Amino acid sequence: MSEMKKIKNLKEFSTSADRFEGANLLCPGCAHSIIVREVLNATNDDLILSASTGCLEVCTAVYPYTSWDASWIHIGFENGSTAVAGAEAMYKALKTKKRLKQPDRNPKFVSFAGDGASYDIGFQWISGCMERGHNMMHVVLDNEVYANTGGQRSSSTPIGSSATTSPAGRVSYGEKKNKKDMVAIMASHGIPYSAQVAPNKWKDMVKKIQHGMEVDGPVFINAVSPCTTEWKFDPKDTMLLTDLSTDSLVFPLYEIIDGHELNITYRPKEKDIVPVEEYLAAQGRFKHLFKDQYKYLIKEWQERVDANWAYLNRREEARV
Amino acid sequence: MANTGWDEFEIGAMLRTFEGEAGDIAGTLQEDRKYTENSSFSASVADWRIEKPIFAKDYCIDCQFCWIYCPDMSIISRDKKMIGIDMDHCKGCGICVEVCPTNPKSLLMFPEQADEEAELAQWPAKETKEK
Repeated sequence: MSEMKKIKNLKEFSTSADRFEGANLLCPGCAHSIIVREVLNATNDDLILSASTGCLEVCTAVYPYTSWDASWIHIGFENGSTAVAGAEAMYKALKTKKRLKQPDRNPKFVSFAGDGASYDIGFQWISGCMERGHNMMHVVLDNEVYANTGGQRSSSTPIGSSATTSPAGRVSYGEKKNKKDMVAIMASHGIPYSAQVAPNKWKDMVKKIQHGMEVDGPVFINAVSPCTTEWKFDPKDTMLLTDLSTDSLVFPLYEIIDGHELNITYRPKEKDIVPVEEYLAAQGRFKHLFKDQYKYLIKEWQERVDANWAYLNRREEARV
Repeated sequence: MANTGWDEFEIGAMLRTFEGEAGDIAGTLQEDRKYTENSSFSASVADWRIEKPIFAKDYCIDCQFCWIYCPDMSIISRDKKMIGIDMDHCKGCGICVEVCPTNPKSLLMFPEQADEEAELAQWPAKETKEK
């Protein structure tokens, strides 16, 4: 196993040479590329990457340009994860047959996908990869909507959010179904590591990514990625929104080891916890919730977030 | 390359980012890499900008917050020092200004046509907290 890259602080991290290039066509202020950079810079090893169809894929591979400085493949909407799994299986086979040209190099296999390609369309494929035990990492850039095709709801879209296929208006408050708990679903495959990360907590993120690359077996990472276009906020506020999402505990940061051992990795102090109302108020997609008739939903939101936080704490304490 | 239509290529087109052997990319800084014209590094999105960031070196404490949170790899940091902004790839989102912790800020957004030297000469003074 090659040596892990040492990243003690941000200054040390900033000496990394980016392997993801500018002049991609992601929106100004898109969190996708912040997450991708933090993942790619966490290691110095060779990378074998894929991206499922989604914002990241269409914006970084606009013919004749590519923004990736590593082996990168795109096939379809659903099978980004299996493409990498296949490459990993071949790598393993060639290694056993001692036919690798550079056997001392230790490539890492990472597939990127949006929430649409992970929670809905590619679900079966990812589940297959996790179950077969490939030595790979799947990173979800969770922006809670099909942002690339115009903001349709996905099964990651939370209650009350206005999406183009579940719009808020006179008769509806928008999306009516709650977001599915993908980290728990993936953890229940018994995989060695699954975690939820956020780009603002870069140190936590790098630690989790490095751990994920070290362990033998499939790893699932869910990264919150605020979308300026579909969440409807100003591009400059991307980091503010990420802060709000982690500090309001809407996106608690935790990891699940071997499918059962849950650790909360970021625990804001009691006085630093932001009410969910502030998180909702910062986004245009929840604007209608502040009308009198829908105010009860904000209360329900807060209760749901509190209940989830209590649940995670209980799980951490009980070690189950 | 630029004049070739999308339908003139075979299915499963492969793009090479570097001339010749890629070698150790993670250990090679951008200025030392041999990019081909297929890398988006050789393209520019400067015309997307309405506002541009201007960097005042005097106030910078090299915390690297702008480097880590820049979505467009446009903050150039070398040897743990922030040395400037890559204006070919900056889209003018303004995240770097928001995350800058210094007082006064070492990065501020100005209209695209603003003159850098004139703005640097009249950089805002330190804000004092009222008690």
